[in-house]
Amino acid sequence: MAQSSDHLVDQIAQLNAARNLVLGDAAFYPQIVNGVLPLIGATARVELRRWGTEFLAETFASPALATSQKEQLAPRVLQTLREILELPEGDPLVLKQIVQNAASLYPLVFRHIVNHPDDGAVWENMTAVKQDILRRWDAFPFAVKILCIKFVQRVVQVQTHGSISDPRRPEQNETSLAIVPRTHAVLSLPNLEAEASGLLDRLLAVFQEDSSDPLFVNATLNCLAVLIRTRQSIGNKIINAIMNFLPARQVRPPITPSIRVGVKSMERTARAVMVNIMKRNPNHPLVGKMQQYIDRLMQSRLEVVDDASRKRGLPVEPTDGLDHAKRARLGVETPPLVKVPPLPPGPISYAQLFTLTEDAGLSSFDVKQLPPDLLVKIVVPLLARVDQSMMNQSVEAIRGRYQTIQKQQAAQQKQAAAAAAAAAAAAAAPVDDDDDDYEPEYQPMDIPEPVAEQEDAVPTEVADLQPDLVSLGPFVLPQPPPLTEDEAADIGRSAVGRVFGMLASTGVTPTPAKGKSQQQLGFARLAGSTFDRDAWVTLLTRLATRAPAGLEPRAVKSEQERGKPTISDSIRETLYRYILEDFRGRVNVGIMWLNEEWYNDRIQMQFTASQRTEEDEDVTVPLHYDHWVLRLLDGFLPYLDSRDTKIFIRFLSEIPEVTIPITKRVASLAKDPERVNLCVQSLLYLIMFRPPAREMCLNAVEDVYQTYEESRPAAGKVLARWRPQKPQEDQQPPQQLQTQPQPQDQQQQEETILASRTVAPESATNNTSLANGTDGIHAAARR
Amino acid sequence: MAYDPRLVSTSALPLPNNNNNTNNPDSPKLRFCTVCASNQNRSMEAHLRLSTASSPYPVISFGTGSLVRLPGPSITQPNVYNFNTTSYSQMYDELYGKDERLYRNNGLLNMLERNRNLKWGPERFQDWVPGMPRVEHVSKGDKGALGTEGGVVDVIITCEERCWDAVVDDLMNKGSPLNRPVHVFNVDIKDNHEEALVGGKAILELANRLNEAAAAERRVSGSDGWENGVGEARRNFDARVPEILADWQAKWPHLPALWTLAWL
Repeated sequence: MAQSSDHLVDQIAQLNAARNLVLGDAAFYPQIVNGVLPLIGATARVELRRWGTEFLAETFASPALATSQKEQLAPRVLQTLREILELPEGDPLVLKQIVQNAASLYPLVFRHIVNHPDDGAVWENMTAVKQDILRRWDAFPFAVKILCIKFVQRVVQVQTHGSISDPRRPEQNETSLAIVPRTHAVLSLPNLEAEASGLLDRLLAVFQEDSSDPLFVNATLNCLAVLIRTRQSIGNKIINAIMNFLPARQVRPPITPSIRVGVKSMERTARAVMVNIMKRNPNHPLVGKMQQYIDRLMQSRLEVVDDASRKRGLPVEPTDGLDHAKRARLGVETPPLVKVPPLPPGPISYAQLFTLTEDAGLSSFDVKQLPPDLLVKIVVPLLARVDQSMMNQSVEAIRGRYQTIQKQQAAQQKQAAAAAAAAAAAAAAPVDDDDDDYEPEYQPMDIPEPVAEQEDAVPTEVADLQPDLVSLGPFVLPQPPPLTEDEAADIGRSAVGRVFGMLASTGVTPTPAKGKSQQQLGFARLAGSTFDRDAWVTLLTRLATRAPAGLEPRAVKSEQERGKPTISDSIRETLYRYILEDFRGRVNVGIMWLNEEWYNDRIQMQFTASQRTEEDEDVTVPLHYDHWVLRLLDGFLPYLDSRDTKIFIRFLSEIPEVTIPITKRVASLAKDPERVNLCVQSLLYLIMFRPPAREMCLNAVEDVYQTYEESRPAAGKVLARWRPQKPQEDQQPPQQLQTQPQPQDQQQQEETILASRTVAPESATNNTSLANGTDGIHAAARR
Repeated sequence: MAYDPRLVSTSALPLPNNNNNTNNPDSPKLRFCTVCASNQNRSMEAHLRLSTASSPYPVISFGTGSLVRLPGPSITQPNVYNFNTTSYSQMYDELYGKDERLYRNNGLLNMLERNRNLKWGPERFQDWVPGMPRVEHVSKGDKGALGTEGGVVDVIITCEERCWDAVVDDLMNKGSPLNRPVHVFNVDIKDNHEEALVGGKAILELANRLNEAAAAERRVSGSDGWENGVGEARRNFDARVPEILADWQAKWPHLPALWTLAWL
């Protein structure tokens, strides 16, 4: 046994040496093949047969050996192979090699028979091998089955019609039915064609089965491309068979990782076949369908198996190609680095500061030569296409330059000051010190070079340089041309208009948050610090009331003369209209505004009183509160509705001062039977909670009681409680009320009186109003 | 040099036995082919790993690009060479002369140094004629050349999906003249030195697992005959490939893999 195994090793070694010989020089093949055949035949040991069949398979596959030589060797080899194949043992390795070899031999032998119809023995051997393989196909071990697929594909390829590339040179033509003469003695065209058709169906059956092994599917797919390409007659049939195949459809749960691998591989292989066909023949009639199939393939796999994407995650390091330590991936788009050329030494102009290009022609080009409309056409699309990172890098570069220059100048100025203080002669000396001073602060940025140059350049030039030439220090705007008063007023109004625009665009802050913050801040809150709508309202009311205060005494007169409103009045007018647009929602704006007006009136009066000298007897202060509170009231009273009680009461209780004209306006509500209750209730509220205004309001209720029948039940109750014995005694109010049909005249009268109320006679009204308006003062002080 | 290739080709020993295969000296190894874009970084790192493993594998390597592209001084100025006609040594010398510091720092010189110790120069996959004897590569001393004299491989491993696509497509175009099955894997590796090192290690492990399965198949179908095999080992190597890949993928989830069975 040992002897024989030693012998075997020796034999195999010798065979390997022979193989190496033919690998080195293919000319030795005939000699070696003929020498080897007896050693590896059906009677030899299995190891030798394995070696032999592998060697033969390699021989007939080798591109180094000419086809004609293979054809010559084929008959003898075929005989040996048939003998081995028909052995009962069925060693898988040997079978694999034989089937593989048969696939290589089949076209060779076929061609040989086409040209040598008399050599029937060879064809008989080939047919026997073919039949044996086809018969045993399903029973073969797994690995041999895979090779059967390839063998059958070769048979189909040979036994179908191929193209004739050149009829004059038959030896150049591919082996196919096309080269078989119709009258061939051995080969019957219809039989061969029918067999091929059957075999093709068997081959394609793998796509129709319920669950195909991915290995068979892939093996089939990968050998079909050549059939589709070279055999037009069956190409579409194959493509359609593939297109009916969806790997994901065969999957049955549970989906194991290996099933996932299988499905993905089938999908990708099917795709590869389609891509291969489309690339070879972009005008293929089925291109559209194939493209659809590819999409469907991918989608079905994603749906069924690929729960987690197997794609690479986000890269951990930048893959933008900026990292030079790594080999840049080719074809990847990278943000190009902006090249920052160093600044020229010496003083720098703005143009130089902002110039990043090194192209002399480009930097000297004067853009002003171009007409503006052309420029716009160029610049707008250009801006739209500017690369963000390029832009950022450029801006950074300019910023770096600018900061550098700024630091240098700061150093220069410091040094200049020091030099002036010490001596003119020492002007250039402290430069080094300054450099030392600022160098630590300086972060070496992208452009170390220009800095160095600058440092060199600065000291030499510093003495004779006018700093203004290069200074990037404070820039003083030239004086604007003087505005006429009208222009100024117009501009002022447009500014106010814009602030109102802000009111419109700024949303009201959500109330819960607002209430909360107010609670937290309490009295410490600052008006207008929240930048919400309220803040803008505050700003506007103060703009109307305080800002022009003291500037206007004369303006009031001129306004009256010219009939033109002052800025503050135009703001008031706008505010008034703004509130009236939606007085229910903006009543708080009105309250705030009127408080401001009232507060400002007081302050003005105090101020004027303190400024007053003996000789100025008749100083007047223009008062706005009384005028505007009545206007506002008149503005919205007609629209008040019986359901607005709460809003109206709130307004009346929160305005800083209730005056007789106001109570009269309120009383007038009782004219409308529907609003009697509104009128009485609001007056009652004032009677109850605003003691300073109580008498006025009681008078008003009395008036109402006596004037309007409908109000008797409600007003009577109030009077019964608050003024039990008076109703009959007081006869004045009815008379007064008789003047009411002309409220306009009366109002005007009041206005003229009130608007120029003198400071000195601060009588009872003033006292009342002060007490009356504590609320208002608080409100104003809070802000 | 660890061996004299000429000695091997004239020696009377069966080739696989030449390798210092400790566990199973009889078993021939699977033959591998590694493929990346330029046959420089990823495929060569894998080539190195496979050919210098403790039980070395026969291995050849290719690139699928149209040209060999190496990074230059800027992204728009790559160093470009032709496949098959430029040796790693030539590239090394040229880059060394151009800017030693740059190419030392970006790792190119080290990479070329490694490559030129492995084989002569980058080869293009599309120009490869499978089955064409590669005896001269053995005599040149290419690492991993032993066992690849016949010019065929059992397993192709690409390092990028587009390389896998290119390989599968090219094999279809070649029309499988050898009628020989070949497993084509893709192991997606980013094209940088660090990832190539990791990827090389992963590829070696995949190779080990595949080879073990193939060896197990050979053992059971060896002298004792097919009937005596049991369990896993009885199953065919090819049939086990999806499962082997799935197991491997579970261990290397960040290197997405792909596979098919194609023909040489």
